[in-house]
Amino acid sequence: MSAFWYYVFTLVFFLFDYFILAMGLNIQYGETGILNFAYIGFVAIGAYMTGVAGMPNAGTSGQHYILGLNLPFPINLIIGGLSASALAFLVALITLRRLRTDYLAMVLISLSLVLYDISNNFIPLFNGADGLYNVPEPFASALKLTTNSFVPFFAGVAGVVALILWFFMSRITRSPLGRTLRAIRDDPTVASALGKGVFRYQLTSMLVGSFYAGVGGGLLIQFGGSFNPTAWLPGETFVIFAVIIVGGVGNNVGMLVGALVVETLLIHLPAFLPAIPGHPGLIEYIDTMVIGVVLMIMLWFRPQGIVPERVRRSKFLLPDFAPSGGGAVIAPTGPAIPTEEAAGAGPPFFIEEKDV
Amino acid sequence: MTSTGQSMSSPDAFSESILSCENITKSFLGVNALNGATFDVPKNKITALIGPNGAGKTTLVNILSGAMKSDSGTTHLGSVDVTNLESYKIARMGLMRTFQLSRELGGLTVLENLLVAPKVQAGESLFNIFLRPRLLQREERQNIERATEILATYGLYELRDNRARELSGGQKKLLEISRGVMAAPTVFLLDEPMAGVNPALIDRIAGYILDMKRQGMTVLMIEHNLNVVEKICDFVIVLAEGKTLATGRLSELRANPEVVQAYLGEVISAGTTN
Repeated sequence: MSAFWYYVFTLVFFLFDYFILAMGLNIQYGETGILNFAYIGFVAIGAYMTGVAGMPNAGTSGQHYILGLNLPFPINLIIGGLSASALAFLVALITLRRLRTDYLAMVLISLSLVLYDISNNFIPLFNGADGLYNVPEPFASALKLTTNSFVPFFAGVAGVVALILWFFMSRITRSPLGRTLRAIRDDPTVASALGKGVFRYQLTSMLVGSFYAGVGGGLLIQFGGSFNPTAWLPGETFVIFAVIIVGGVGNNVGMLVGALVVETLLIHLPAFLPAIPGHPGLIEYIDTMVIGVVLMIMLWFRPQGIVPERVRRSKFLLPDFAPSGGGAVIAPTGPAIPTEEAAGAGPPFFIEEKDV
Repeated sequence: MTSTGQSMSSPDAFSESILSCENITKSFLGVNALNGATFDVPKNKITALIGPNGAGKTTLVNILSGAMKSDSGTTHLGSVDVTNLESYKIARMGLMRTFQLSRELGGLTVLENLLVAPKVQAGESLFNIFLRPRLLQREERQNIERATEILATYGLYELRDNRARELSGGQKKLLEISRGVMAAPTVFLLDEPMAGVNPALIDRIAGYILDMKRQGMTVLMIEHNLNVVEKICDFVIVLAEGKTLATGRLSELRANPEVVQAYLGEVISAGTTN
């Protein structure tokens, strides 16, 4: 396979992977309004746990890490997703009941830093700053895949996983559960006054979104074969925020578009460009600036994103539904004018048309 | 259940009490917003909660609905002690409320605002979404049918697919009330439902409130429009300086010098009784 196609399939992989990551953050932030600034931490936990679930016992690898279960794909990937959800459960229990919006965001970004420091310094957990490496490539030996052929193969695997997760996410966001999550996003006080246990729904959103984060992280470590703290600096969370803001907060298709524009075109494509002579690394710096400028332009001129949140019209909610009388013929009837008996004794009080 | 020191009539004269509070106190940074408010709200009647600005009416509604915790005192919904319960639990017991400034769910359509309202929906469970799709569809159909009927009644049917944030102030008032009706509450707290709406709409909203009573709901409404209070409310509670000053019919309260001094005189002199 030529280097060109190798790069193309690498880009395709990142497109699908960040599509998954963006869907996870979107249900938390775009649908439920949870400003999860620790999102990359859940991605990292998913990556590490997928890695150690799929790797052999640490004693044989020369690395230091927990578990080493030697489980096949996709079981290790599911373990990665569930581990991220388990962390989300703990975090939600501690934070979501008491904290809202900006305070929650501050605590979560602190959590991200703490997770980063622990993984970077506590070697027995995930091999410290060196991170995990020599992570087995799924199906590589069974299908006799070479380094070159593994890339398109795993890009395809990521595509299948993304498709499955997109199907599940669509079902959730289109359901009454998705509607309730958006109600909580718009006004948690009103949602609570309507009988919705806000914490329960926020917890559901955190668990589902973090599962997506964990799976996205798990795919990353399986694709690259390694994962260490430099791969998930806490600031990476904001790249995923950029994906969903550019794509369109609250729209799953927008997540794919955002992943294409931000992750694929703006982050990974320039990495394959030849360096500017005499200025090594300059392209990366320009790239970072371009992402910031694109984000500002989007927030200023098109805050709803490239693919805005869909207005869920009545036909969309239940395509074959027609109200009794055929829909359009249902006209506002206004109130029943109260009878004297119902209104209590006394003269009619309703304001006459001429007084309006 | 309770006795209001200077009341002229109690809800017992009308029917049994369905909502009551006793000696509710609440202070904000040392300022007493409520200072022992005590009253009963009669079942299946329209009760007005009136009083001067700063009397603690909205604070009381917030406490009754669970949006705010009281410092002391008790509240009962029927025979159940709901003191300082979380608002969603009180709502599930059948108490709905509206807000002084309309709080629509702006990103949702008008129809969706109503569809959120049924308190417990099978479609809000992940399990049901994936494993019981037919149940969801059946439930959704029933809810949409009921929501469209309510929207038609409230004159919002043509706006069903508009985002709620696009509505006018009066339409938002109607949406908030119709959303509460969609939840089929037993007790409905309305915080100034007539505030900031045109006279014709006041007429309509008053009619809707009478409809609620016909449907078996109990309504407690904060209202400054005494013309409306006099005509549609069966019972009136006067709150002043965080305490229940008096209760009874408005015609009776007009003869109470303390009420006149604390509130009615002020309203009459301001010329806002009509």
